[in-house]
Amino acid sequence: MSQVTTTTPTSGLSRLWHKWRFHLNILLLLVPLGFMPKYFADAALFRGDSGLGERELGEIQVGPWSLRLAELRNEAPRYDGPAGYMKSFNAALCEACIDQVKATYLRIGKPRSLRAAGVIFFGTPYRMGATLPVAEKTKADAELWITMEGWDGSMHQAAIPLSQASPATIAWLNKQGGKP
Amino acid sequence: MSKKSRSKIWFLVHSWLALPIWFFVLIVCITGTLAVVSQEIVWLANPDIRASKPSDDAQALSYDQVVAAIKQAEPQLLVESISTPDEAHFALDVGINYPDGRSVTVYVNPYTGAIQGVSPQFDFQAFTRALHGWWLVPFTNGYSWGWYLVSLLGLPMLASLVTGLVVYKKFWKGFFKPIRFRHGARIFWGDFHRLSGLWSIWFIAVISITGIWFLIRAILGDNHISISSEPIVPVIARENVPISADGKPAAMIGLDEAISIATQKIPGFDISFVSLPSNAYSHLYIGGRGWYPLMFQTANINPYTGSVDTANLLADRTSLEFVTESMRPLHTGDFGGLWIKLIWFFFGLLLSMMVLSGLLIWTKRTALATAHALKRSNQPARSSTPPRAVPAMNTDTPEGNL
Repeated sequence: MSQVTTTTPTSGLSRLWHKWRFHLNILLLLVPLGFMPKYFADAALFRGDSGLGERELGEIQVGPWSLRLAELRNEAPRYDGPAGYMKSFNAALCEACIDQVKATYLRIGKPRSLRAAGVIFFGTPYRMGATLPVAEKTKADAELWITMEGWDGSMHQAAIPLSQASPATIAWLNKQGGKP
Repeated sequence: MSKKSRSKIWFLVHSWLALPIWFFVLIVCITGTLAVVSQEIVWLANPDIRASKPSDDAQALSYDQVVAAIKQAEPQLLVESISTPDEAHFALDVGINYPDGRSVTVYVNPYTGAIQGVSPQFDFQAFTRALHGWWLVPFTNGYSWGWYLVSLLGLPMLASLVTGLVVYKKFWKGFFKPIRFRHGARIFWGDFHRLSGLWSIWFIAVISITGIWFLIRAILGDNHISISSEPIVPVIARENVPISADGKPAAMIGLDEAISIATQKIPGFDISFVSLPSNAYSHLYIGGRGWYPLMFQTANINPYTGSVDTANLLADRTSLEFVTESMRPLHTGDFGGLWIKLIWFFFGLLLSMMVLSGLLIWTKRTALATAHALKRSNQPARSSTPPRAVPAMNTDTPEGNL
């Protein structure tokens, strides 16, 4: 940009640059214009104006309790550096269980104990989120396990097929062709 | 290389720094200028965020009183966080959840606890910051490329400051040179550009260096390099979270108690925001300023016992962190109330005008140079540049060929 050209601008590239350089401004201005719908859709998603998430899974019964689950984004897990690939879910507790449920967890595969129940949900019972690591070698027939822990020490679990929880994740796993 | 031709090159570099993308640079400057006072603009436009006193001797409520007032007005709401803005004329920002799952900020009167309004769907403050900060390009994997696009401008901006001072002979004598209004636009804009540039030396340096820091921060972040001394907060151990026989949530300490515990333990801790625990195993998070206005201190408090489990105080910061954490407030000007913001706003306007005036000077000079070139020969102006007819500054530059 700051290059000082001492040759006469006769080469094709240089002529092209001189003719079109100010059009860079137009290109650059198109960027925020193009992303504006996405920006407002995201703002609405995070405010909860457009629901619990991009793809709602409906009510899931977990023992005496239930919760509504949604994929935050209807898309494949996102790469997050050393942590690997992560997938975010949102949830809302049933009205009756708000005061009884101490914590809610998500895990791919059945947890061996409450201590290994997976990632915990953060937020309020009306809207909470958990970000779940998804290993690249996850089998396509894996299950998503929901563990709910009561203030009285009780524990209840339920599982749904990952293919139901996130078809986009299954598509992503299949596309990788079972990477080691 | 002779002194003259060296300064000529400096001049060329200076004139070319922002040119092909001048409009982009201008918009980034203008959006940044607006972002500085975006909170004030919203204050003017939306009465909901004003902290009107019901009477002259009204006292601000404590955070517990605020939560109680919200609970009384709308028992279904769940409070997630409370934040007291820096300036007393702003209402409290309270993060709340509605039963329908909406997670929004509401504006609460600090004296009465009344919910004055819900933050609108179009958040002007957030929008101008997103536009200025990352050109609205979404963050999908690490930093958005829009962030890089904008923060890269710090480099030519710093270069234009340095080259501008190099080409301005004896610039230190120019601080009180009057602007010549009656000698045509070219002279006027030239004088304006030089004078505002001189008075903006400190501001351009601050904005460009902090802007370059944003670039470095993104590079560090995307390479997962951390220079933070902030402690990693372990969750509250399972055995330390009570089980209640009746199945009801365990009792937690109040916000006022947490604040008083923290201020007793940590002298000079001026708490201005709290985040309530976001699940049964997480902490009550409080924060605010200390003696150094550019940085925040935070602490995590066990909501069942009131113990301060971790803290990130000024005393814990490394000297490198004092530098790096000061960068953001220095860029945004939001560390000392309204007057600092207004100074930043004024110089932001001036900087925007410098981009514009720089372009106008360039255009006028080019027009002049082109006229000269055309007058001199029948040759097409673009084929070669006459060595002497045009002002020295324009020779050999592509601008003479427009």
